[in-house]
Amino acid sequence: MNFRVVEELISSLDMSMGSGFSNDNQNSLSEWDTCLLKIGKYRDKSAFKSLYEHFSPRLKSFLLRIGSDESAAEEICQETMIMVWRRAETYNPESAGASTWIFTIARNKRIDKLRKDSRPLPNFNDPLFYQKPIDKSDDILQRTEEEKKIKNVLKNLPPEQAKLILSAYYDDKSHRKIAEETNLPLGTVKSRIRLAINRLRTQLEDFEG
Amino acid sequence: MNKQNTLTLVESLLIDYANGTLPLALEVLVETHISMNPASAKSIRMLLQLGGALLENSEPISLSEGSFEKLMAEIDSGVDKDQEIYTNVVNDNNLLPLPLRNYAQDISSPKNWKRIGIGLSEQAINFGDNFGSTKLYKIAPGYSVPSHSHDGNEVTLVLSGGFTDEYGTYGPGDISIQETGAVHKPVADEDGECIVLAVNEGPIVLTGPVGRLLNMLIK
Repeated sequence: MNFRVVEELISSLDMSMGSGFSNDNQNSLSEWDTCLLKIGKYRDKSAFKSLYEHFSPRLKSFLLRIGSDESAAEEICQETMIMVWRRAETYNPESAGASTWIFTIARNKRIDKLRKDSRPLPNFNDPLFYQKPIDKSDDILQRTEEEKKIKNVLKNLPPEQAKLILSAYYDDKSHRKIAEETNLPLGTVKSRIRLAINRLRTQLEDFEG
Repeated sequence: MNKQNTLTLVESLLIDYANGTLPLALEVLVETHISMNPASAKSIRMLLQLGGALLENSEPISLSEGSFEKLMAEIDSGVDKDQEIYTNVVNDNNLLPLPLRNYAQDISSPKNWKRIGIGLSEQAINFGDNFGSTKLYKIAPGYSVPSHSHDGNEVTLVLSGGFTDEYGTYGPGDISIQETGAVHKPVADEDGECIVLAVNEGPIVLTGPVGRLLNMLIK
């Protein structure tokens, strides 16, 4: 995303704060998407503090649930939030919401801890990444619609199903633990998770149509 | 392995990619696959968004006292060590998909290929870990890789051209997965040379009559 787009987004945000008016783009961005944009543009420490206070306790909780221990979870949280601060100006609201962006950084930080080398996740929205031209997917409305749909479908899942979806993000050790606890082969545990994800995908598609 | 099974195994690979549990070689293979296959790119997008939604829905648990102040102190004093590999591509080899360029040697230069059979060359890729082995194979049109089995799972991604084995026909961007013990003999399409990226968990065992002899010699 170029600088001009950020300018426009932020000015539409400033306008809407004054008058209660909001245009479509701004309307579809979440509070945290705009907060991230502000941090990137103005290096606004108080905006960063509220983002930190919202996300880091959720990230810690998420990391604990997917298999990190207490100290690793805190460390990954801190490293993730440092990266959020340092990379905020590269945040592109057309390609990801704030929570997806932060999740992606945390995913990489978790891998970096397991490996010696660190390498960033490639930018899947960079057209150069693709061998063949793909459908243009970097559109704020489309992106926010997708994320809204996922949230809605997640909210309405039966608890058993929701638990399986979450376990897709567990580490390998946690998958083995489930296999032991349920007396199921590891492959069966993984294929149940895969089926749950597939069912979710079908629901997302039904939602579209 | 039939195509249906391969499809579900590819889905498993994508899920493991999203949660970050793949070894580096497979991570790079999946990224290369995504760069060639829009459907898988869409799946990864959904899986990362799903991760974001699950993060957002998590019940907050406080970090230890003074975490934010500690973080700000580190930010104010620290050096930014995070490097952007993708903006700093070492290997300017446009024939390779972007995710592979930092790892493989220029495929257009013959010195980077080692001839291992008639119509067959390889280039080993070192990912700096102890996970299995990763190679690029180049198969001349109509030639084949000797019939072989695997002492571990093998994931093969077609980079260019295509091949056919006992289980199906594979083109650019397609993944073929051989499970431990499976035997196959890939034959490159007649209309051009075929380059694949193959990640092996364990050593390859040659199963044809000549291959068996070679295995005995290797041991």
